[in-house]
Amino acid sequence: MNERLQRFSTAGLLADRKVTQLMGFTTFTLIFFTVFSFNIFFTPENFRSMAYQVPEIAILSIAVMLSMLTGGIDLSIVGISNAAALVAAYIMTQKMTEGGDISTMWIIAACLAGILIGLICGAINSVLIAILNVTPILATLATMTLFNGIAIGITNGVSVSDLPKQFMRVGNGTFLGIPTPFVLMLVIAIFVGYLINRTSLGLKVLLIGTNRKAAQYSVMGDRKVIAWTYIISGLLSSLAGLIIASRTSAASPDFGNSYILLAIVVVVLGGINPMGGFGTVTGVVLATIVLQMVSSGFNALRFSQFFYLLAQGGVLVLVMILNTVFEKRRINRSINKSLDS
Amino acid sequence: MVSTESLNYSVENITKSFGGAKALSNVSMSVSSSEVHCLAGENGSGKSTLIKIMSGVHAPDSGLIRLDRKEFNQLSPRQAVQEGVQVIFQDFSLLPNLTAAENIALPTFIYENSKFISKRETKKIAQSALELIGVDIDFNLPVSDISIASKQLIAIARATNLGVKMLFMDEPTTALTRKEITRLFEVINQIKARGVATVFVSHKIDEIQEICNTITVLRNGEVVADGPMKDFGAREISQAMTGHDVLTTRIAPDLKISEQKVVEVSHLTAKPTFSDISFSVAPGEILGITGLLGSGRTELAEAIFGKYLVDSGEIAVNGVKLSINSAKAALDAGIGYVPPDRLTQGLFLEQSILRNLVAVGIDRYKSNWGSLPKKNLTAIGNKWVSDLKIKTKNPSNPVTSLSGGNQQRVVLAKWFAMNPHLMILNGPTVGVDVGSKREILEIIRDRAKNGMSFLVVSDDIPELIQICHRVLVIKNGKISKEFLESELDEASLYKELN
Amino acid sequence: MNFRKLLRRNETVLIFAIIVFSLVIGSKSPEFFTIANLFDILRSSFVQLIFALGVLIVIISGGIDVSFPIVGIFAGYTAVVIMRKFELNEESVLVPIALAILIGIILGGLNAIAIAGFEIPTLIATLGTAGIFRGFMLSFIGASFISDIPLGLDKFSTADLIKFESEAGTLVRLHVLVIPVALITLAVSLLLNRTIFGRSVYALGGGVESTRRLGISVKRTQAKIYMLVGGLSGLAGILYVSLQRKANPYDLAGSELDVIAAVVLGGASIMGGYGTVFGTVLGVLFINMIKNNLVLLGVSSSWQRAAVGVLLIIGITIQAIGENQKQKRQRSATSKEAE
Repeated sequence: MNERLQRFSTAGLLADRKVTQLMGFTTFTLIFFTVFSFNIFFTPENFRSMAYQVPEIAILSIAVMLSMLTGGIDLSIVGISNAAALVAAYIMTQKMTEGGDISTMWIIAACLAGILIGLICGAINSVLIAILNVTPILATLATMTLFNGIAIGITNGVSVSDLPKQFMRVGNGTFLGIPTPFVLMLVIAIFVGYLINRTSLGLKVLLIGTNRKAAQYSVMGDRKVIAWTYIISGLLSSLAGLIIASRTSAASPDFGNSYILLAIVVVVLGGINPMGGFGTVTGVVLATIVLQMVSSGFNALRFSQFFYLLAQGGVLVLVMILNTVFEKRRINRSINKSLDS
Repeated sequence: MVSTESLNYSVENITKSFGGAKALSNVSMSVSSSEVHCLAGENGSGKSTLIKIMSGVHAPDSGLIRLDRKEFNQLSPRQAVQEGVQVIFQDFSLLPNLTAAENIALPTFIYENSKFISKRETKKIAQSALELIGVDIDFNLPVSDISIASKQLIAIARATNLGVKMLFMDEPTTALTRKEITRLFEVINQIKARGVATVFVSHKIDEIQEICNTITVLRNGEVVADGPMKDFGAREISQAMTGHDVLTTRIAPDLKISEQKVVEVSHLTAKPTFSDISFSVAPGEILGITGLLGSGRTELAEAIFGKYLVDSGEIAVNGVKLSINSAKAALDAGIGYVPPDRLTQGLFLEQSILRNLVAVGIDRYKSNWGSLPKKNLTAIGNKWVSDLKIKTKNPSNPVTSLSGGNQQRVVLAKWFAMNPHLMILNGPTVGVDVGSKREILEIIRDRAKNGMSFLVVSDDIPELIQICHRVLVIKNGKISKEFLESELDEASLYKELN
Repeated sequence: MNFRKLLRRNETVLIFAIIVFSLVIGSKSPEFFTIANLFDILRSSFVQLIFALGVLIVIISGGIDVSFPIVGIFAGYTAVVIMRKFELNEESVLVPIALAILIGIILGGLNAIAIAGFEIPTLIATLGTAGIFRGFMLSFIGASFISDIPLGLDKFSTADLIKFESEAGTLVRLHVLVIPVALITLAVSLLLNRTIFGRSVYALGGGVESTRRLGISVKRTQAKIYMLVGGLSGLAGILYVSLQRKANPYDLAGSELDVIAAVVLGGASIMGGYGTVFGTVLGVLFINMIKNNLVLLGVSSSWQRAAVGVLLIIGITIQAIGENQKQKRQRSATSKEAE
């Protein structure tokens, strides 16, 4: 019964309410930090720096969102993103000349290799989860360990740095005045949003996450859908990894270990139901922006990064509590009415 | 265990509402020790609520609970058990990962507030509890390895071990074979002899008549009949439960004689569940399949739908022999299936009615260039809402906003949208309010008139008589008898079933 | 069916794997078979085993806890900080241990509030509390490395039960911890098998609603579980600090993978309801055996995590295949409305 309650909290209609709530919350956060730290927070430089950091987290969060929509979770996103970044970085540094130059062709090849890694890792997840029926938490914990372990083993824990300047332009440049990664993020967000709302695959994802058994009885190829979900999640993770590498000019096996918590906070704050079946990309993007503002705001207020960590955990727990508390009241009656006979 | 003096357990004038919906109105019921009392009623009648109130899960809005000499305005679950009230739910509430012995003995330790548990004592308790009800089961096995019938007996042993005085059994025969039901009834008589007041909650009239001494019938939250069993015949009970005189008016449409066979099943075997099943269905024919659960009827239905693996045998659709080894193969062959449990198998409860309506064959609604435009879905949704007269203000509402009957229409519509050659319906009107039952049968009739064939798997004899052209009775995995149109009548069917 | 058979198979497979790997490693480097090495494996297993026992209890109950290493280091670090700040009895070992256990229980209690009180799914809840605990510790208790830990703790790290020099001249030491750890392991086993609380933990893993109907207070049991795990984690944390002879607040984070791997390999089902202390002990020994002795196989230690990853994947694959076979054999259970 409690499963139903938790799912109801972001059911269809309410999901839109979540987005409006989020927009309100975003505005509030913006105003809050502007007021308390105008000089540092409300500057073009600050906003620009946020605009560069949001995309990688947003894309990772979208990856988690997808797996969560099917009722599972992908904990290996950071392992995959690092693996992809390392492979691309390795190729690039190998093919770089002494002067740090490299042909565009090789950059593209390196990126494709990174993406390929993402697809392969996603496929491994798919085999475990869709074919062998391993529960997603356990499967992705295992693959996370494996991917991370292989990355550490190969690199010996040392990051690959000093990537070609042409590559760095992607992560640090602009496209029509907007930071390139941000544009990439928007493209991905629009694509995934379209996927979920306007394609049959998307609808199947939502239905499978709502009731896997009914999905099986409705013959929608649930295993294939779940397999694709984790492959796409791997793909998105690799893209995030490439963006990170491009922005920081480095790829390391242990980067972003805290990103997994952050992605889940984003996803939950963004209104994705952890049980599956409901959620929007808009919510995820907005939530990423909010959390980045908090991070940046904390920075401006000279709070330590650990305080931000504390805040992340706190937001996660708080949002989950609020979800349960508010919806218990509203849903209790109608559930009792329809299930009680 | 229990004294032999006659004790009484009753509720008086119980009323309970949830939100705006009244579940129970002024309900009174009385059960004596050494009595098997039937609590009858269809889904939605309030049976569950009454049970929950008496076992302390819910508190009544008003009314009194009398347990022997004590009076209560409400109970807590622990109090209920202390006073000797226990419920065996349909899932038996056993723990599959623990042994039968532990399942039986654990509550004893808990209610004695023990901190420790010893294996030896556990076994001793289990042994004596099983002996008390005259049952011999290997209680060292984990419950997950035990058959359903034995699980039930373990649940009863557990209850009697705790000194139960009033035992509710909620639809206890749902998953039992005839032999197992007989054994269950023996055990019930045993505990009856020991003074337990048993409340047998069921809607299966033939069983009620066999085991119960007294009866209370609920309908729409009110008591509509109450008294000794001998005062009530099958017809009166059915009438009381449904509120209608049992409509035996048949509405099956005339069947055009046809040599064609839409579906032909030959020697389908899946040991030990069913063997050598052969039958065929003509276009527009409504074939009924019935049998007690455990007879293999659901497995047979799911085998034709590809969800249950068979050992041998053939299925031919429109003359073409097919290998139906998955639900997808069945769908591609033009076979559809409405599963028995609408809530967990048929519907995506929290999703909208629209989304539920398009859940089968989603890909067919795609536009030319691969997307799934909202207007395609809305169009389909609206079509079916009007075609099947689904009562809703807004198809974007979650499907939980619908009544049971309307929810069932959604499941039907979902499959009708695929225009299958053969629709397999498993328990199509279970949990559907009385008015809707007939309407759903009419929907089936209308489709059949237009050429769709149906396989109706059900244990609702009156329903089968109303709608089927022929009925097959399955007993112990084999077809025991075929009833042609002219031979269809309640009495014969009941007789054949038992 | 038999997940139980699978479980038994799990432990026997594990014993078999341990024997095989021992022979393989040993054949390449006979140093493996020395008492010194054996004692080393044991020593590196103590802390992990205590964490693992806590994780085992949570997993049997059907949940998962990823905050335990953070609870551990929080408790250990804070105990040291408190000892120093309030200049408590430097020489005592029991005081910091008691402090750490207490802190662990409190943190576990916070987990309990989130999980039992607010019914937040366990993975998300403990991910969140891990962030809260870690963030809080590093923000408010201290972010600096403490190398001069209280004397008692420091001396404890070399409290050896057995100590002698082997013929080869290497120091062979068996830490005194082997006794309390063995006792705790036994205690947890007895707790799980012989107490109502323990059976309630298994019951929870078997079905929350059925457990409730038995008259067991689900919330109270869950609260006890997470406080117990917290206490165990606190103990593990302070022992870690002592054995390492330093209190580094950045330590232990990330070690949850190894511990969970050990518990899962030991046969506990992530779905709940199954798992034994014996299996967990085997799992921890196995993982540590592999990790510690990769070098002897000529593999650099940077491959340790990958090794754990591979083992874990093999383990869950085997378990999954077994589960799938069992389902096939049971045929479609759709006719059992009782499910």
